[in-house]
Amino acid sequence: MTSRIAKFPGVELGSKEFYEGKVTQVRSRPDARYEFSAGEAISRFLEEMQKGKLIARTCNGCRRVLFPPRMFCEQCYRPTDEWRYIRDTGTIETFSISYLDRDAKRITEPILVGVVSLDGASPKMGMMHYFGEMTKEDIRIGMRVKAVWKPPEERKGSVLDIRYFRPLKEGEA
Amino acid sequence: MTFLERTTDVKRLRHVDVDMSVDYIYTSGIAGEVFFKALRDEGRILAVRCPVCKVNQLPPRMFCERCFTELKDFVDVPAEGRVAAVTVAKLDRRGRPLPSPEVFAFVTFKGIQVGGLIHRLLVLPEKAKVGLAVRARLKPKEARTGTILDIEGFEPAASQP
Repeated sequence: MTSRIAKFPGVELGSKEFYEGKVTQVRSRPDARYEFSAGEAISRFLEEMQKGKLIARTCNGCRRVLFPPRMFCEQCYRPTDEWRYIRDTGTIETFSISYLDRDAKRITEPILVGVVSLDGASPKMGMMHYFGEMTKEDIRIGMRVKAVWKPPEERKGSVLDIRYFRPLKEGEA
Repeated sequence: MTFLERTTDVKRLRHVDVDMSVDYIYTSGIAGEVFFKALRDEGRILAVRCPVCKVNQLPPRMFCERCFTELKDFVDVPAEGRVAAVTVAKLDRRGRPLPSPEVFAFVTFKGIQVGGLIHRLLVLPEKAKVGLAVRARLKPKEARTGTILDIEGFEPAASQP
Protein backbone atom coordinates (compact mmCIF):
# COMPACT_ATOMS: atom_id res chain seq x y z
CA MET A 1 0.00 0.00 0.00
CA THR A 2 2.64 2.53 1.02
CA SER A 3 4.77 1.55 -1.98
CA ARG A 4 2.25 3.27 -4.26
CA ILE A 5 2.70 6.62 -2.52
CA ALA A 6 5.54 8.40 -4.25
CA LYS A 7 5.77 11.36 -1.88
CA PHE A 8 4.36 11.67 1.59
CA PRO A 9 2.86 14.98 2.65
CA GLY A 10 4.75 16.90 5.31
CA VAL A 11 8.29 18.12 5.86
CA GLU A 12 11.18 15.76 5.33
CA LEU A 13 14.02 16.19 7.79
CA GLY A 14 17.36 14.46 7.52
CA SER A 15 20.66 14.51 9.38
CA LYS A 16 21.63 17.68 7.48
CA GLU A 17 18.72 19.58 9.03
CA PHE A 18 19.36 18.12 12.47
CA TYR A 19 23.13 18.43 12.69
CA GLU A 20 23.78 21.62 10.71
CA GLY A 21 21.23 23.61 12.67
CA LYS A 22 18.82 24.14 9.76
CA VAL A 23 15.83 23.64 12.05
CA THR A 24 15.35 24.93 15.56
CA GLN A 25 15.55 22.13 18.07
CA VAL A 26 15.95 21.08 21.66
CA ARG A 27 18.43 18.33 22.50
CA SER A 28 18.14 16.27 25.59
CA ARG A 29 19.34 13.14 27.31
CA PRO A 30 17.41 11.73 30.24
CA ASP A 31 19.40 10.58 33.25
CA ALA A 32 18.41 6.94 32.71
CA ARG A 33 20.87 5.02 34.84
CA TYR A 34 20.30 1.74 36.58
CA GLU A 35 22.12 -1.10 38.26
CA PHE A 36 21.17 -4.72 38.36
CA SER A 37 22.39 -7.29 40.78
CA ALA A 38 24.30 -10.26 39.39
CA GLY A 39 22.87 -12.63 42.01
CA GLU A 40 24.53 -15.42 43.99
CA ALA A 41 25.95 -17.63 41.25
CA ILE A 42 26.98 -14.98 38.75
CA SER A 43 28.63 -12.89 41.50
CA ARG A 44 30.93 -15.82 42.27
CA PHE A 45 31.43 -16.42 38.55
CA LEU A 46 32.54 -12.80 38.03
CA GLU A 47 34.80 -12.93 41.08
CA GLU A 48 36.52 -16.00 39.62
CA MET A 49 36.74 -14.34 36.19
CA GLN A 50 38.76 -11.60 37.85
CA LYS A 51 41.15 -14.29 39.12
CA GLY A 52 41.37 -15.73 35.61
CA LYS A 53 39.31 -18.82 36.28
CA LEU A 54 36.02 -20.19 35.04
CA ILE A 55 33.69 -21.76 37.57
CA ALA A 56 30.60 -23.92 37.17
CA ARG A 57 28.01 -25.48 39.47
CA THR A 58 27.30 -29.19 39.64
CA CYS A 59 23.93 -30.86 40.14
CA ASN A 60 23.85 -34.24 41.87
CA GLY A 61 20.39 -34.90 40.44
CA CYS A 62 21.14 -34.89 36.73
CA ARG A 63 24.95 -35.09 37.12
CA ARG A 64 25.41 -32.09 34.90
CA VAL A 65 28.07 -29.40 35.28
CA LEU A 66 26.16 -26.14 34.79
CA PHE A 67 27.95 -23.25 33.13
CA PRO A 68 27.44 -20.33 33.56
CA PRO A 69 26.80 -21.38 37.18
CA ARG A 70 23.33 -21.19 38.66
CA MET A 71 22.07 -21.95 42.14
CA PHE A 72 19.05 -23.89 40.92
CA CYS A 73 18.78 -26.79 38.48
CA GLU A 74 16.04 -26.14 36.00
CA GLN A 75 15.79 -29.84 35.10
CA CYS A 76 15.64 -31.34 38.58
CA TYR A 77 13.91 -28.41 40.36
CA ARG A 78 16.42 -28.53 43.18
CA PRO A 79 19.30 -26.40 44.42
CA THR A 80 22.62 -27.18 42.77
CA ASP A 81 25.35 -28.75 44.89
CA GLU A 82 28.98 -27.82 44.39
CA TRP A 83 31.32 -25.35 42.77
CA ARG A 84 33.72 -26.77 40.18
CA TYR A 85 36.40 -25.07 38.12
CA ILE A 86 36.30 -25.79 34.41
CA ARG A 87 38.95 -25.18 31.71
CA ASP A 88 39.27 -22.11 29.52
CA THR A 89 39.42 -24.18 26.35
CA GLY A 90 36.41 -25.18 24.34
CA THR A 91 34.73 -25.77 21.01
CA ILE A 92 32.89 -23.27 18.81
CA GLU A 93 29.26 -24.24 18.91
CA THR A 94 27.92 -21.49 16.66
CA PHE A 95 29.19 -18.15 15.36
CA SER A 96 28.31 -14.98 13.49
CA ILE A 97 30.36 -12.76 11.21
CA SER A 98 28.99 -9.36 12.15
CA TYR A 99 29.29 -6.19 10.12
CA LEU A 100 27.52 -4.27 12.87
CA ASP A 101 29.24 -3.22 16.08
CA ARG A 102 27.73 -3.13 19.56
CA ASP A 103 25.95 0.16 18.80
CA ALA A 104 24.60 -1.30 15.53
CA LYS A 105 26.97 0.94 13.54
CA ARG A 106 28.10 -0.45 10.17
CA ILE A 107 31.75 -1.56 10.14
CA THR A 108 33.95 -2.74 7.27
CA GLU A 109 36.10 -5.21 9.21
CA PRO A 110 33.68 -7.76 10.66
CA ILE A 111 33.75 -8.85 14.28
CA LEU A 112 33.46 -12.55 15.00
CA VAL A 113 31.15 -13.58 17.82
CA GLY A 114 29.63 -16.86 18.89
CA VAL A 115 29.07 -19.46 21.55
CA VAL A 116 31.88 -21.61 22.95
CA SER A 117 31.04 -24.82 24.78
CA LEU A 118 33.70 -25.14 27.44
CA ASP A 119 35.75 -28.19 28.36
CA GLY A 120 34.80 -29.56 31.77
CA ALA A 121 31.19 -28.36 31.59
CA SER A 122 28.35 -30.52 30.32
CA PRO A 123 27.89 -30.66 26.53
CA LYS A 124 26.53 -27.49 24.91
CA MET A 125 27.21 -25.45 28.09
CA GLY A 126 29.28 -22.39 27.48
CA MET A 127 29.37 -18.69 26.91
CA MET A 128 28.96 -16.20 24.18
CA HIS A 129 32.13 -14.27 23.32
CA TYR A 130 34.32 -12.68 20.69
CA PHE A 131 36.76 -14.65 18.54
CA GLY A 132 40.20 -13.34 17.63
CA GLU A 133 43.48 -14.32 15.92
CA MET A 134 41.44 -15.86 13.13
CA THR A 135 39.80 -14.56 9.97
CA LYS A 136 36.23 -14.90 8.85
CA GLU A 137 37.47 -17.53 6.38
CA ASP A 138 39.13 -19.60 9.16
CA ILE A 139 36.25 -19.74 11.60
CA ARG A 140 34.09 -22.88 11.61
CA ILE A 141 31.80 -24.81 13.92
CA GLY A 142 33.72 -27.41 15.92
CA MET A 143 36.92 -25.37 15.98
CA ARG A 144 38.96 -25.78 19.17
CA VAL A 145 39.60 -22.47 20.96
CA LYS A 146 41.27 -21.07 24.11
CA ALA A 147 40.51 -17.94 26.11
CA VAL A 148 42.87 -14.97 25.88
CA TRP A 149 42.72 -13.25 29.29
CA LYS A 150 43.43 -9.65 30.03
CA PRO A 151 46.39 -9.06 32.37
CA PRO A 152 45.25 -9.35 36.04
CA GLU A 153 45.50 -5.60 36.72
CA GLU A 154 43.08 -4.85 33.88
CA ARG A 155 40.44 -7.36 34.97
CA LYS A 156 37.29 -5.94 36.48
CA GLY A 157 35.14 -8.95 37.28
CA SER A 158 33.41 -8.88 33.94
CA VAL A 159 32.85 -11.32 31.10
CA LEU A 160 35.21 -9.05 29.15
CA ASP A 161 38.10 -10.08 31.45
CA ILE A 162 38.52 -12.59 28.64
CA ARG A 163 39.48 -10.54 25.57
CA TYR A 164 38.42 -13.19 23.06
CA PHE A 165 38.86 -16.85 22.21
CA ARG A 166 41.72 -17.75 19.88
CA PRO A 167 42.36 -20.99 17.96
CA LEU A 168 43.94 -23.70 20.08
CA LYS A 169 47.46 -24.35 18.83
CA GLU A 170 48.70 -27.80 18.00
CA GLY A 171 50.01 -29.63 21.06
CA GLU A 172 48.16 -27.34 23.48
CA ALA A 173 45.99 -29.02 26.06
CA MET B 1 14.09 -25.90 50.17
CA THR B 2 16.76 -23.46 51.09
CA PHE B 3 20.18 -22.71 49.76
CA LEU B 4 22.73 -23.82 52.36
CA GLU B 5 25.52 -21.90 50.70
CA ARG B 6 24.80 -18.23 50.65
CA THR B 7 26.95 -15.16 50.34
CA THR B 8 26.60 -13.08 53.47
CA ASP B 9 29.28 -10.53 52.57
CA VAL B 10 27.42 -7.99 50.46
CA LYS B 11 30.69 -6.67 49.03
CA ARG B 12 31.15 -9.97 47.23
CA LEU B 13 27.84 -9.59 45.41
CA ARG B 14 28.36 -8.01 42.03
CA HIS B 15 26.20 -5.65 40.08
CA VAL B 16 26.20 -4.14 36.62
CA ASP B 17 25.96 -0.37 36.03
CA VAL B 18 24.11 0.78 32.97
CA ASP B 19 23.74 4.30 31.61
CA MET B 20 21.23 4.27 28.81
CA SER B 21 22.27 6.66 26.06
CA VAL B 22 18.89 7.74 24.77
CA ASP B 23 19.73 11.11 23.27
CA TYR B 24 16.97 12.84 21.41
CA ILE B 25 16.41 15.85 19.22
CA TYR B 26 13.04 17.51 19.46
CA THR B 27 12.26 19.81 16.53
CA SER B 28 9.95 22.80 16.85
CA GLY B 29 7.47 21.88 14.15
CA ILE B 30 6.16 24.12 11.37
CA ALA B 31 4.61 26.91 13.47
CA GLY B 32 7.29 26.56 16.17
CA GLU B 33 9.95 27.03 13.51
CA VAL B 34 8.48 30.44 12.57
CA PHE B 35 8.21 31.40 16.24
CA PHE B 36 11.76 30.44 17.21
CA LYS B 37 13.40 31.82 14.06
CA ALA B 38 11.69 35.20 14.61
CA LEU B 39 12.84 35.12 18.23
CA ARG B 40 16.41 34.16 17.35
CA ASP B 41 16.96 36.38 14.31
CA GLU B 42 14.78 39.41 15.00
CA GLY B 43 14.08 39.25 18.72
CA ARG B 44 10.34 39.25 18.06
CA ILE B 45 7.75 37.19 19.88
CA LEU B 46 5.04 36.04 17.47
CA ALA B 47 1.52 34.76 17.98
CA VAL B 48 -0.74 33.39 15.29
CA ARG B 49 -4.16 34.71 14.27
CA CYS B 50 -7.15 32.60 13.27
CA PRO B 51 -8.92 34.40 10.40
CA VAL B 52 -12.20 32.60 11.16
CA CYS B 53 -12.42 32.90 14.96
CA LYS B 54 -10.53 36.23 15.06
CA VAL B 55 -8.55 34.85 17.96
CA ASN B 56 -4.79 35.28 18.52
CA GLN B 57 -2.97 32.27 19.92
CA LEU B 58 0.38 31.91 21.65
CA PRO B 59 2.63 29.99 21.19
CA PRO B 60 1.83 29.76 17.47
CA ARG B 61 0.35 26.51 16.24
CA MET B 62 -0.51 25.12 12.83
CA PHE B 63 -4.22 24.66 13.32
CA CYS B 64 -6.88 26.54 15.23
CA GLU B 65 -8.00 24.29 18.04
CA ARG B 66 -11.53 25.71 17.84
CA CYS B 67 -12.31 25.50 14.11
CA PHE B 68 -9.37 23.47 12.68
CA THR B 69 -8.50 26.23 10.22
CA GLU B 70 -4.89 26.20 9.08
CA LEU B 71 -3.12 29.18 10.65
CA LYS B 72 -0.63 31.27 8.68
CA ASP B 73 -1.08 34.87 9.86
CA PHE B 74 1.63 35.66 12.38
CA VAL B 75 1.21 38.76 14.53
CA ASP B 76 3.53 40.49 16.98
CA VAL B 77 2.91 40.03 20.68
CA PRO B 78 2.80 43.32 22.65
CA ALA B 79 6.06 44.12 24.44
CA GLU B 80 4.35 44.33 27.80
CA GLY B 81 2.58 41.39 29.39
CA ARG B 82 0.92 40.58 32.67
CA VAL B 83 1.75 37.84 35.14
CA ALA B 84 -1.24 35.49 35.29
CA ALA B 85 0.20 32.91 37.68
CA VAL B 86 3.40 32.39 39.64
CA THR B 87 5.21 29.50 41.24
CA VAL B 88 8.39 29.41 43.30
CA ALA B 89 10.64 26.41 42.67
CA LYS B 90 12.92 25.17 45.42
CA LEU B 91 14.08 22.01 43.59
CA ASP B 92 15.68 21.75 40.17
CA ARG B 93 14.43 19.59 37.30
CA ARG B 94 16.02 16.50 38.81
CA GLY B 95 14.69 17.10 42.28
CA ARG B 96 17.88 18.47 43.83
CA PRO B 97 17.58 21.50 46.12
CA LEU B 98 18.34 24.80 44.41
CA PRO B 99 20.88 27.18 46.01
CA SER B 100 18.25 29.92 45.90
CA PRO B 101 14.56 29.68 44.94
CA GLU B 102 13.62 30.40 41.33
CA VAL B 103 10.40 32.10 40.29
CA PHE B 104 8.39 31.01 37.28
CA ALA B 105 5.41 32.80 35.80
CA PHE B 106 2.72 32.33 33.22
CA VAL B 107 2.61 35.59 31.28
CA THR B 108 -0.39 36.64 29.18
CA PHE B 109 -0.55 39.52 26.73
CA LYS B 110 -3.27 42.00 25.83
CA GLY B 111 -4.91 41.04 22.54
CA ILE B 112 -3.67 37.44 22.72
CA GLN B 113 -6.83 35.63 23.67
CA VAL B 114 -5.48 32.08 23.84
CA GLY B 115 -2.31 31.04 25.63
CA GLY B 116 0.75 32.85 26.89
CA LEU B 117 4.34 32.02 27.83
CA ILE B 118 5.74 30.21 30.82
CA HIS B 119 9.19 31.44 31.78
CA ARG B 120 11.50 32.59 34.55
CA LEU B 121 10.30 35.68 36.39
CA LEU B 122 13.37 37.76 37.22
CA VAL B 123 12.24 39.13 40.58
CA LEU B 124 12.66 38.04 44.19
CA PRO B 125 10.09 35.43 45.33
CA GLU B 126 8.37 37.93 47.65
CA LYS B 127 7.93 40.39 44.76
CA ALA B 128 6.31 37.79 42.49
CA LYS B 129 2.66 38.73 42.32
CA VAL B 130 -0.14 38.07 39.87
CA GLY B 131 -0.92 41.23 37.90
CA LEU B 132 2.68 42.42 37.66
CA ALA B 133 3.42 44.18 34.35
CA VAL B 134 6.45 42.50 32.74
CA ARG B 135 8.63 42.58 29.64
CA ALA B 136 10.75 39.84 28.10
CA ARG B 137 14.49 40.20 28.60
CA LEU B 138 16.22 38.65 25.58
CA LYS B 139 19.72 37.30 25.36
CA PRO B 140 22.11 39.25 23.11
CA LYS B 141 21.58 38.25 19.47
CA GLU B 142 24.86 36.35 19.12
CA ALA B 143 24.00 34.13 22.09
CA ARG B 144 20.56 33.16 20.77
CA THR B 145 20.13 29.60 19.49
CA GLY B 146 16.46 29.36 18.55
CA THR B 147 15.04 27.90 21.74
CA ILE B 148 12.81 29.33 24.44
CA LEU B 149 15.98 30.07 26.44
CA ASP B 150 16.70 32.91 23.99
CA ILE B 151 14.40 34.73 26.39
CA GLU B 152 16.28 35.04 29.68
CA GLY B 153 13.06 35.65 31.52
CA PHE B 154 10.48 38.31 32.26
CA GLU B 155 11.33 41.37 34.32
CA PRO B 156 9.12 44.15 35.69
CA ALA B 157 8.19 46.52 32.82
CA ALA B 158 8.82 49.56 35.03
CA SER B 159 12.51 48.72 35.50
CA GLN B 160 13.23 49.18 31.80
CA PRO B 161 13.88 52.56 30.19
